[in-house]
Amino acid sequence: MSAVITVQDLRKSYRYAKRGRGLIGALRGAVAPEHQTIAAVDGISFEIAAGERVAIIGPNGAGKSTTLKILSGILEPSAGAARVFGLVPWLQRKMLAYRIGVVFGQRSQLWGELPARDSFALLRRIYDQDAAPFARRLDSLVERFEVGDLLGQPVQRMSLGQRMRCEIIASLLHAPSLLFLDEPTIGLDITAKAAIRDFITEQAANEGQTVVLTSHDTRDIELVCDRVIVINAGRIVVDQPTDQLRRQFLGRKLVTLQSAAARIVIDLPGIQVRPSAPHTTILEVDTRLVRVEQVIAAALKDGGIEDITIEDPPMEEVVREIYASTHQ
Amino acid sequence: MDRLIVNYLHQAAAAMRTSLADRTNFALQMGGMTLNNGFFLLMWFLFFKGFHRIGGWGGSDVAVLLGLMMTIFGVAGVAFGGYRDMAATILSGEVDALLTQPKSVLGRLLSRDSMASAWGDFVTGLIVLTGFAGLRWSQAPLLALMIGVGLTIYLAATVMFGSLAFWVRGARSLARDLADFLVMVSSYPGSIFSGPSRWIIFSLLPAGFVVLTPVRMLRAPSVETLAVLAAAVAVYVALALSVFRLGLARYRRGASPVMGM
Amino acid sequence: MKSMPAPISRRPAAAPSLNSAHGLIAAARMGAAGTLAGWPVLLGRGGFYVVAMSILAALWDKVAAERVPHALVLPAGGLVIYVGVTEWIMMSTPAIHLRLEDDIRSGALEVHLLRPKLYLAQKIAETVGGLAARTSVIAAAAMALLLVSGRTVPAPAAWVYIVVLGLVGGVIVVLLYAVTGLCAFWIRRTMPVYLIVQKMLFLLGGLFAPVSFYPRWMAQVSEASPFAAALYWPGVQALHPSASLFWRALGLQLIWIGLLSGLAALVWRAGLRKILRQGV
Repeated sequence: MSAVITVQDLRKSYRYAKRGRGLIGALRGAVAPEHQTIAAVDGISFEIAAGERVAIIGPNGAGKSTTLKILSGILEPSAGAARVFGLVPWLQRKMLAYRIGVVFGQRSQLWGELPARDSFALLRRIYDQDAAPFARRLDSLVERFEVGDLLGQPVQRMSLGQRMRCEIIASLLHAPSLLFLDEPTIGLDITAKAAIRDFITEQAANEGQTVVLTSHDTRDIELVCDRVIVINAGRIVVDQPTDQLRRQFLGRKLVTLQSAAARIVIDLPGIQVRPSAPHTTILEVDTRLVRVEQVIAAALKDGGIEDITIEDPPMEEVVREIYASTHQ
Repeated sequence: MDRLIVNYLHQAAAAMRTSLADRTNFALQMGGMTLNNGFFLLMWFLFFKGFHRIGGWGGSDVAVLLGLMMTIFGVAGVAFGGYRDMAATILSGEVDALLTQPKSVLGRLLSRDSMASAWGDFVTGLIVLTGFAGLRWSQAPLLALMIGVGLTIYLAATVMFGSLAFWVRGARSLARDLADFLVMVSSYPGSIFSGPSRWIIFSLLPAGFVVLTPVRMLRAPSVETLAVLAAAVAVYVALALSVFRLGLARYRRGASPVMGM
Repeated sequence: MKSMPAPISRRPAAAPSLNSAHGLIAAARMGAAGTLAGWPVLLGRGGFYVVAMSILAALWDKVAAERVPHALVLPAGGLVIYVGVTEWIMMSTPAIHLRLEDDIRSGALEVHLLRPKLYLAQKIAETVGGLAARTSVIAAAAMALLLVSGRTVPAPAAWVYIVVLGLVGGVIVVLLYAVTGLCAFWIRRTMPVYLIVQKMLFLLGGLFAPVSFYPRWMAQVSEASPFAAALYWPGVQALHPSASLFWRALGLQLIWIGLLSGLAALVWRAGLRKILRQGV
């Protein structure tokens, strides 16, 4: 598989003048400004192959959105190289625009006051799409996302969830092979989030699209992406497949037992009990010290087990661990 | 190039449809602006009734001036209405989303809005031009050309004002103020300006090219005047496009002030 | 996405005692402080004043210099200082109609529905505070222009008359705009009404020229109107300073303030009734 995106030692710094307070400060700031430099992206390198679904995560201000903006051609880097489909994004922005779809969680690319269908019609012209294939794509997307009743409504009057569905449709109308999603589920309720996640996963699977998304929501990563790049303070701290990440960083499994007895006690090393309701026992099993089957066997020996669940720890914890361990 | 124009027309048409959608509001805006202009014209009528002439300009000369100004302002507001709040749009960071699309950002910025009140200006302007300006029907093509010239330079100037948002946070009110100044100086007979103010109306606030020289062209057509206007159009358009491009490049370096995200 | 660029006013953290003069004075002080804090906008207003005055001065100087036969005769000294006064008053008034429109449309009024009278009075007091701040800044600009231009300065007595009538005139404009803003209960955008009120001020208020220049019937109508009370009567002191004219003008202004306040209160009550019946 050839690389769709290659990034080499990408850097982006912002230099801005510190604002003085009040009239005197403002005057001083105008005459002899003090400057501060912030490195939003401080030398990152990675490659993404066609069909991959990659999440770029990190704390606020880590450089995720900046990276996405550079890759989609909106922002120029201070140094380093990047290529998307062999094109240099900030130099060949318009050519690249035909091949990528971008969704910003916080900004709209639609015409807010126009009915949604008018926005879609205008986008057809902007992307130079032929009428018939475009109409087919639009119809299937509209059906898939169940926005048929909303087409006559101005986008800015829709709820956030409805608007995001329209934004995603808009980003797919020109059949791009690469999707950039910047915080696509931010502010949405659970049902809306699930709908969008399902859709992204489906698209990637059916159409072989490459997906790069940034998010704060670790469930986005768990459910959609097969690879995670963690950025902190402008640098990549982790770049691994999602499962490996979980296993590597925690080497732990959560075993939840439902029982007739109020509590199950298992005397094995490497087990920590987590607080839980009566008749439920949650055990954190350190798989480096004891195997899960040993724990299960011990639990079953006592009898009275009604349900067993074995899970990986939530992504939240994984991410928290990563941030904590890389903060040294 | 023609693709650019066709795309623009579609976007502008969509904006116009939106402004027409709420009939009552549209009627109020258009009617209100027409009444507003009526008062303004009434005041000039009283002025000329009392004072007859000023600096060689009579009532019908000022009628040409005001008719041109209102028509230009009207067309600008209807078909290019985004110019009015361009600074605010840029400062809010909405340009990000526009940059991910393969077409002109400036076109998108200008076509995003169509002001209902501008129809009032357009209609009043036409009424003044046909009824009070003392023009002959044979001058209609020249008039159309002058409206086009004035419109182009007016838009070029306001695009430059709006582009200040790429550099300065306070650009929103500054751009609006500058645009309002431009309209203000374009509403008075040119003969009252002398000395430094004459320099200003032929440079920073180009009322001299938006209305004054076109009025002269209509009253006393000459090749020299036409050449001056052609040069002015070329210079202002080139300047506006350069300033906008420079500003956009600055935005894309991340050096522009952006409020919100 | 069109939106009116109304400056946002900060509400006091703990509202002062209801309906008392203290509350209103506090609101006025807050309005003044808020206006001064937004000094870039103030500078813009000052700039506007300078540009407008330059144009109008050029206009009237030219008219004075030309002496076209059968034209109306300008008073000695021309009309420039007169226009300086009327423009000073016009430009000092904050856009209360936009704030009222915003509050009414956004539903921020709901908080105040329990205390109807206080909201309007507070808003007007706040705006009068802003008026005081702007008036001072623009007056400074006006004085600077006057000194630089080398024109004859009016007599000291005239200044007192001008300042008093000008400030009270500004309050009249605030009340006119307040009634305009209250129209937002019934129509979505108050801009058309605002523009008409503004043009009435220009025309019947004699912004550009004293209403005495109009045909007799029109001059009489104007002189009696609230618009002239706001602009013409203060401005005319720059042409013919006179104590008796001052007292008559002040009396007329106070009558109009009373009438307009009553009108505002009526419109406000009607608007509230509408909201309580059918929502915004």
